[in-house]
Amino acid sequence: MRQWRIIAKEAMARASIIGKFLCLLHVTDAYILSSNHVLGPSMLPTLNITGDVVLVEHLSHRLGKLGSGDLVLVRSPLDPKKTLTKRIVAMEGDKVTFSLDPTRSHSSRSLVVPKGHVWIQGDNAYVSRDSRHFGPLPYGLIEGKAFMRVWPPSSFGLLGE
Amino acid sequence: MGEWSRSVVPIASRLCLLYLINKYLGTPVLTYGPSMLPTLNITGSLVLVERISTRTGKLRPGDIVIFRSPETPRKVVCKRLIGMEGDQVTYVVDPKNSDRCETIVVPKGHVWVEGDNIYNTKDSRNFGAIPYGLLEGRAFWTLLPRKDFGSLAPKPR
Repeated sequence: MRQWRIIAKEAMARASIIGKFLCLLHVTDAYILSSNHVLGPSMLPTLNITGDVVLVEHLSHRLGKLGSGDLVLVRSPLDPKKTLTKRIVAMEGDKVTFSLDPTRSHSSRSLVVPKGHVWIQGDNAYVSRDSRHFGPLPYGLIEGKAFMRVWPPSSFGLLGE
Repeated sequence: MGEWSRSVVPIASRLCLLYLINKYLGTPVLTYGPSMLPTLNITGSLVLVERISTRTGKLRPGDIVIFRSPETPRKVVCKRLIGMEGDQVTYVVDPKNSDRCETIVVPKGHVWVEGDNIYNTKDSRNFGAIPYGLLEGRAFWTLLPRKDFGSLAPKPR
């Protein structure tokens, strides 16, 4: 009987160490820095169609330090289980001019981004479903800013304009 | 360094656990404002909010939900869920001035929220259907004031 108690105590001690570490890992992952696998054609040529691993920081959007030109990961307004990667084109209050169908360049519309929202577009305007389709995105759906790519190794480096 | 870490680490790990409970299970939330009268108090109500229903998608019309405001992203707002995606919602556009009603279908991935006090509330009738991703939790129990202690029953319209 005593042996089981000793084993149980040791198991609890080890589990609590692992638990504390996972806690720390989770908080870092959600609030400071995380790595995400992003794929799809909507951000060509910036991001590959087959998938890249990017480092995403979760501080800028909480501090309000996002601006146009930033690559952001957002929760999709059409499907809350999906996360999208797009570029911020305009912040609240900015006027944005866009054409819904770039193959017919003479149809373009303009609007002012409402308060509390941002306008996001994929770099590959031909296949991206973004704010041109679902409208301005509420700021609260932004999850982080992608600033660096770590995989594939041939394209390792900071993600710029 | 060792001295210091011995007292800080247990505190940090308990805060970590508290944070995880807050983020994934539930938390008490202080609400104030006139938009949910008579269900919630104007000067302040302490309600218990659970976060499991929003993650598993088990919300139903009639639930009271809290969500990040689509106009002021730093604010968290409390309203009642009226329609899920695909539902047809009929609402009074401006109850103080006229009885005109409008009907819309809630778009995919969005929900329609309204305050119980339709005369003094900014809700989906002002800012439209909100994306489901903005929802943060469901309020299910009132702790304070004492006279309102009890469950917040879903009240379908």
